[in-house]
Amino acid sequence: MTYDLLNGLLSAEAEQVLGLGTRLIVPSGTELFRLGDPADRLFLTERGRIRLTLPMQVRGREEDIFVEERSPGQTLGWSALIPPYRFTLTATATLREAEVIALPREALREYLAANPAAGYKIALNLAVVIGHRLQLFQTMWLREMQRTVEVHS
Amino acid sequence: MEMFLMGLCMAVFGMGIAAVAFGAATRSESSDSAVQPALSLVKADAAAHFFSDRVAAPPTVPPAPAWPVPIEVLLLQIENHVRMEQAAAESFVAFPTQALLHSKTSSPFVN
Repeated sequence: MTYDLLNGLLSAEAEQVLGLGTRLIVPSGTELFRLGDPADRLFLTERGRIRLTLPMQVRGREEDIFVEERSPGQTLGWSALIPPYRFTLTATATLREAEVIALPREALREYLAANPAAGYKIALNLAVVIGHRLQLFQTMWLREMQRTVEVHS
Repeated sequence: MEMFLMGLCMAVFGMGIAAVAFGAATRSESSDSAVQPALSLVKADAAAHFFSDRVAAPPTVPPAPAWPVPIEVLLLQIENHVRMEQAAAESFVAFPTQALLHSKTSSPFVN
């Protein structure tokens, strides 16, 4: 298994980072975390898929609307590394059970501080993950704006 | 004998008249509601008056709007729309061009 957060790390470094974590089984349909929860752990998807959703009013009812899906090897919950350390989405296992590796923020910080070379690579990998999300949603936002302008002009 | 028959005829005739009168009286009672215009319905928001012979109708609940598709279908359509938009955005991010930025999808929300 390769993890996007650990790209470019020596295998020993990757093993050390993974050793900080705890494996969690997320039963089908179970929430891993909820919007607004304190974010003190970063997650690496090991098995299954995790749906990321946001609440939206649909016909007067609050519904969790699909935003993204995380598959094995992908990182989720990077709010754990960014103030104010609160999750901004809700994460739920899909129809199949999922497994994730939970990396506690404090343990990860200590490791990164003690291993700056590995820390640099992880920071770059995290920038790729966050940057990709930003580019995707910037594009989606612009597409929606374009349609809004077309409708109202 | 003639007097008896005359009396009998008078009695039968009198009973016939009484029967017709009774029938007319009962028919007019039942047909009143059919002939009279129906009472106009009291508005639901009007308060019932104590001495009124009209009874206020119970408050009516506005009927639920008839949605064109069930909510489960709508949620699925929203998810498919997001997936298609994300795929279009992925294409743009991988190879940014103006054409890809505004490429159309087959989502029912934009067609």
